[in-house]
Amino acid sequence: MKPKVCVLRTDGTNCDLETFYAFAKAGAECRLVHVNRLRNKEEKLNAYQILVIPGGFSYGDDVHSGKILAVELTSFLKDQLEEFLAAGKPILGICNGFQVLVRTGILPGRRIGEISAALVSNDSGRFECRWVNLRVENTRCIFTEGLLGKCLNLPVAHAEGKFFTDPDTLQRIEGQVVFRYADENGRPTQNYPLNPNGSLNAIAGICDPTGLVLGLMPHPERFVEPAQHPNWRRFPFCSEPHGLAIFRNAVRYAKER
Amino acid sequence: MIQEVRVMNRPEVPDPAGKETLYEIQQALGIKSIRKIRTAKVYRFEGINEKDAHLLAQKLLAEDVFQIYTLNAPIIEDAQGVVEVAYKPGVMNPEAASLMKAARDLGVSSLLAADSSREYGFYGEGISSEEIQIIVDRLLVNPTVEQVVSQKPATLIIHGRPGQTQIIPLTKMDDQELLTLSRDKLFLNLEEMRAIQHYFQSIGRDPTDCELETIAQTWSEHCVHKTFKARVIVNGKEKAPFLKRLQQATAEINHPLVLSAFVDNSGVMEFYHGWAICGKVETHNSPSAIEPYGGAMTGSGGVFRDIMGTGQGARVIASTDMFCFAPPDTPREEIPPGCLHPHYLLRRVVAGVRDYGNRMGIPTNNGSVHFHRDFRAKPTVIVGAYGILPKDRCQKGKPRPGDLALVIGGRTGRDGIHGATFSSGEMTERTMEVNASAVQIGHPIEEKRMSDAIIEASAAGLIRAITDCGAGGFSSALGEMGAETGVRVWLERAPLKYPGLKPWEIWQSESQERMVLAVAPENLEEVLKICRGLNVEATVLGEFTNDRRLLVTYQGEKVCDLDMEFLHHGLPQRILRASWKNPDYEEPALPLPDDWVDLYCRVMGHLNVCSKEPIVRMYDHGVQGSNALPPYGGVDGDAPNDAVLLTPLYGQECAVVISHGLNPVLNIIDPYYGSLWAAAEAVANAVAAGANPKETVLIDNFIWPFPDEESLGALDRAVDACVDFARAAGMPFISGKDSLSSTYRNKDMVLKIPPVLCVSAFGRLPDIRKTVSADFKRAGSFLFVVGKRDPAEMGGSVYYDLAGYLGKNLPKIDLQALPLVFQAVHRAIAAGKILACHDISEGGLAACLAEMCFGGNVGAKIFLPGGVRPDFFLFNETAGCFLVELAEEGAAELFAGVPFLKIGITQQERQIIACQGEKELFRAPLERLKEAWKKPMQKVFG
Repeated sequence: MKPKVCVLRTDGTNCDLETFYAFAKAGAECRLVHVNRLRNKEEKLNAYQILVIPGGFSYGDDVHSGKILAVELTSFLKDQLEEFLAAGKPILGICNGFQVLVRTGILPGRRIGEISAALVSNDSGRFECRWVNLRVENTRCIFTEGLLGKCLNLPVAHAEGKFFTDPDTLQRIEGQVVFRYADENGRPTQNYPLNPNGSLNAIAGICDPTGLVLGLMPHPERFVEPAQHPNWRRFPFCSEPHGLAIFRNAVRYAKER
Repeated sequence: MIQEVRVMNRPEVPDPAGKETLYEIQQALGIKSIRKIRTAKVYRFEGINEKDAHLLAQKLLAEDVFQIYTLNAPIIEDAQGVVEVAYKPGVMNPEAASLMKAARDLGVSSLLAADSSREYGFYGEGISSEEIQIIVDRLLVNPTVEQVVSQKPATLIIHGRPGQTQIIPLTKMDDQELLTLSRDKLFLNLEEMRAIQHYFQSIGRDPTDCELETIAQTWSEHCVHKTFKARVIVNGKEKAPFLKRLQQATAEINHPLVLSAFVDNSGVMEFYHGWAICGKVETHNSPSAIEPYGGAMTGSGGVFRDIMGTGQGARVIASTDMFCFAPPDTPREEIPPGCLHPHYLLRRVVAGVRDYGNRMGIPTNNGSVHFHRDFRAKPTVIVGAYGILPKDRCQKGKPRPGDLALVIGGRTGRDGIHGATFSSGEMTERTMEVNASAVQIGHPIEEKRMSDAIIEASAAGLIRAITDCGAGGFSSALGEMGAETGVRVWLERAPLKYPGLKPWEIWQSESQERMVLAVAPENLEEVLKICRGLNVEATVLGEFTNDRRLLVTYQGEKVCDLDMEFLHHGLPQRILRASWKNPDYEEPALPLPDDWVDLYCRVMGHLNVCSKEPIVRMYDHGVQGSNALPPYGGVDGDAPNDAVLLTPLYGQECAVVISHGLNPVLNIIDPYYGSLWAAAEAVANAVAAGANPKETVLIDNFIWPFPDEESLGALDRAVDACVDFARAAGMPFISGKDSLSSTYRNKDMVLKIPPVLCVSAFGRLPDIRKTVSADFKRAGSFLFVVGKRDPAEMGGSVYYDLAGYLGKNLPKIDLQALPLVFQAVHRAIAAGKILACHDISEGGLAACLAEMCFGGNVGAKIFLPGGVRPDFFLFNETAGCFLVELAEEGAAELFAGVPFLKIGITQQERQIIACQGEKELFRAPLERLKEAWKKPMQKVFG
């Protein structure tokens, strides 16, 4: 049986179709679900095995990126989300989805309504669209199983992607850092543009303490086919595009549970 | 009572918005007294108490992790000066709706209105109030849409009573009165005014303001293209109208893949697997000249809606942007009164394109920027869009009598009144004042959800016909959709942003993000349900009839009752006189350069050659996951490609190719060859990536000075060039647009832009694997120039420009040789024989070679043929020529029958070595060339 993926969308979501495709390619059965349908009970989150909040500009990123959707989820879908989390089901937030997960408190603390970190404006003050190197750290994250020590090449495209929190929290979540921006040798870096936003500790993605929830600024769904890489013509490029493993891991996990 | 919440970052957290503003103040304004800027957001709420305001501050506005807030108190307290900048009342702040929604979601139900703005705190020594005023005037506030807020507003709600419809006593007016009525408002000429007068005399009544506005809009140059449809007498001899020539060429070519040309909102060609692709390119010069951010945004939004409104609805898959500005370092005193500085224009136009495309999730991945000082009064801002739709729903729909006219999307406000007529007029120093309402701030999220709704309704087969509300608003959309049937409109049903609009204003409003659907009554409920599910407002505004009348009422009162026949066919055909004589520019006799490397660097650093990467990095060119050849690639991701390739059907190998070409400088010398160049460049860019010229189609955009006799003569030559090119290449134009108002006039001066013909090319490719990028792939491979070029044709080149000349002997593209070259290059790429390919354009072979070296991080050694001037050989800019990298010899076979020349090899050593005969001309280190090439735009964008 293919695990069912809820691709959550709302006004301004715009990476939903490619995220849908990435999960479908990884072997899942996907459905685009507008948040209105969850609010009015036409759809139930617990009918799904995986939840993904794709990239985009939910509600125009007004006030803060992802904020309006985060407020909506916290106000109306808290119970459904808590049930989903309690059931041990994986959640993935990409770019705007990561911002939403942080602004609901699901990341890094897995507590809805308790915000302990933020994704703030890039140090450059600009939207940045470029490919970056990501070092995969040693965590419990189920999305990166088998990738430890690898360096992934993925694109970022955001204006508010700098991971920021207080020093205590930063220390506390050290073991939850899944991806760091890295130089060509795989070393974490604060140098622009290798670290495109000035994220503290070069953090590009984190998971919750259980490893079931992952949020990241880069876009793995934009590298699930070889020709999506800007330099695929230069190399007989990897047979496994770098983003695909993340989706495969989620699907495999959901299947094996 | 209004509650004010101010939010700013904690002192220890950086403030990139402040840093960015400081950079501009120091760079663009040269003000040094300011050392630091802190910014804060100001939120205002009407109808709630302090407790709720605290709740909103804590739960929504200020994130404790990095921010602080105050309620009804200042937040920036230690600065030497604080300025708050807000949108003017009536300019809709897109953030307001989100504030209302989030407040409701948080249970704050009494909120009546909300707004947001930004505060700037200036820190430094001896900051004068004059300096702050300069910053406000030149950088922070565009008075068209923004203002400085000095005290708390009494209310955020815009009040107003509906205005009245007036009768205009037209039938009794004399010629002078007719002209006065037309000026600044209708932009019609005397003959046209008289035709309107006759119509009303014949029906025995005077028009309403609404009727007059409807006719003026329908007959505006922007909407009806009367110059392109006019009879033209060129140098005393009558020729076919411009549009007819273009359409005739398209008809004669009779391209098997073209599904729809010149009839719908965009041109459509066949793709694969039951899909079609469509393209449209628009200009937004006039709005962008007075409010570049809003102007560029609405330009993007408008062209996206053209795609969304093609057939029975299409999905937008790409956005392109082509700009012409004066150099960003133009001295301020050279900018004519009433015009904005190009440094500001460039940055703000880029920001507008960025914010619309990125937020809608449409990749902006092909474009260019051109500079010439004669764009200092009016820039050229071209935006294109491409889409995909099912082939069986790709023909323009026709409403049937009884169908409902459903308006969906945003609400109607006083935005953009007179946009259609205004953009058809010349620009003067009064333009900013008189036509300020012609621009608004776009709302991409509104358009995105509307697009989602259209795609869903279209897929369910619920849309009979669709069109966008662009210039002319409802008037244009409904007048056009109902032209063959007739339409009955109840104007009071239109959802408004605020009260107080007169009926004709509702009718003419160009509020963005609205579209009109013709829906069969039995499908209405289903369409409304889709819209509700996606938060899209939808209202039945009218009904299509069978009486061929345009009947509009407002609360029972008849405000417009016109015969469609007169409205659409009553416009007198113009007869225009054109004459052309090639201007006689001096052909310079330049000595050979002394310092080759310095010259090479200056060519690379020329504004029309330099890297535009900082712009591209701000555009999301990877969204939708379809990009298979990015704007910049290569080892370091900073080497340009010629075209974009997209794979819009996930998991399929078939691709769309998109490219363009333009060269305003050449058009100054001779618009015929300048235009051939533009077309050749557009196609060469596509072919360089692997496009099949037999499966490529074209779009034209003429951006011209006001059509006086001379400019019309130039236009005549440009149109002929397009037609000749299309016939020779077998490539039809399937969509196009002209914008003939780029003349600036005041009492002291007349300034015409260099005429711009932008040709866009798009097509299909069966297999993405049979394409190439421009970066060299390895050291030790062979380099060939393919294509016909006469190095002595240096007129209009960057090389001449650096020497202070325009020149006369411009590249004259050979239409016999060109199609064969395209075919040969395409065949060689498809056969997998070519490692890298780049087309030659501004900066010539030398710039082309350097860019390919940057991409591969390798050098090259080239050998110039004897007997040719080496500087000309290196810097000649003839379009339609290619530099190709081959792994092995064998070019003779690949390029049999077309001109080609082996010129060198790639090498490990990171420099470009040029030799002629025994003599080594120079060794140019890549690093130096690259630095010079990157510097200009880095300087503008920081």
